[in-house]
Amino acid sequence: MSRTTEIELMRLLHGELPAEQAGALRARMAREPELAAAMARLERSWSGLELPPAAPAPPAFAQRVLAQARRQPGLSWSAAPRWARATAAAALAAGLALGVGAGKLVSSRSLPDTENVLAVSAAGGGPSLAETWWDSLDDLESTSTAATDADGAQL
Amino acid sequence: MGTDSARASATDPDWDVLTRVAAGEGDAFVRLMEHHQDRLLRLCERMLGDVEEARDATQEVFLKVYQKAGDARPQGQVYTWLYRIAVNHCLNKLRRRKLVRFLRWESPAEDSDATPFDPPDAAPDPAAALDSRLRWQSTRRAIAALPDNQRAVLVLARFEGLSYKQIAEVLEISEGAVESRLFRAMRRIEGAQESDASRVSRKEDRR
Repeated sequence: MSRTTEIELMRLLHGELPAEQAGALRARMAREPELAAAMARLERSWSGLELPPAAPAPPAFAQRVLAQARRQPGLSWSAAPRWARATAAAALAAGLALGVGAGKLVSSRSLPDTENVLAVSAAGGGPSLAETWWDSLDDLESTSTAATDADGAQL
Repeated sequence: MGTDSARASATDPDWDVLTRVAAGEGDAFVRLMEHHQDRLLRLCERMLGDVEEARDATQEVFLKVYQKAGDARPQGQVYTWLYRIAVNHCLNKLRRRKLVRFLRWESPAEDSDATPFDPPDAAPDPAAALDSRLRWQSTRRAIAALPDNQRAVLVLARFEGLSYKQIAEVLEISEGAVESRLFRAMRRIEGAQESDASRVSRKEDRR
């Protein structure tokens, strides 16, 4: 059976076929059992598509949405035009990439100074927040070095 | 708006209500929601296959309506415009769901196999009630397996009872495209129903 005929059957099922064409198709179905069987199959599939009745809206749904609508700011992300959102997203991504790159560069250059920072702090009393941070970074580095050593020893 | 607005208001008084929503009248917004909330909720539930997600989606749709009320061009029926926002919102949600599933390395079938809560069936016969439940499950699986654009057309045609012309208006596509998507959807549905039937008969044979 051709796709055109199948589409015609579907249109007939949905009441979308003009009366004249519908009459002609019905006459063909009376003559051609294969066509009638295809129509019966389509009807069965269509009526077999069943779902339970949808749940009603919860009580005071509209009032709650209204309250939320009044709370939301006038200019929201979703209300912005698509081009503005795309530009903002691109700028954000570029900024993020730049930030990550700069962060890596700074951290790689700063690491050798760690000893100096610690030496200064050792000379001047209790540990500062910066020292604590560098300490924890050193701990982390020594742990990873130890792990590498261990791996090396195993090899 | 002008003449267009007057003509559209004559066909659907909800355009006037929408104009009042755009002016910030809360009463008008509540009236609009109460008039359309059940049909939008039903549409979102059919599209997403989940009651809770459908409630959230409907709420988000109405929030969009509140923001965009001033941009609406009065043309045809208000519900067509609302359906358009709701369908697009659900399609976005489905895309996001797919992306999350992809990032979590989940298979697409995992979601469709979950059995959602079904309301108690009014049928007094337990066998008939069970039969209904099995049909609902089979329908949910079949709809979930459809590509998004076919799913939208099928839901609008089968469960919202929209004509091809109305569906074309909602989705902003041609009637030919509606016909074609519906045809392909029905091909898949028939295939899914056949494999369901053969699975049931295999189970019965094993017993």
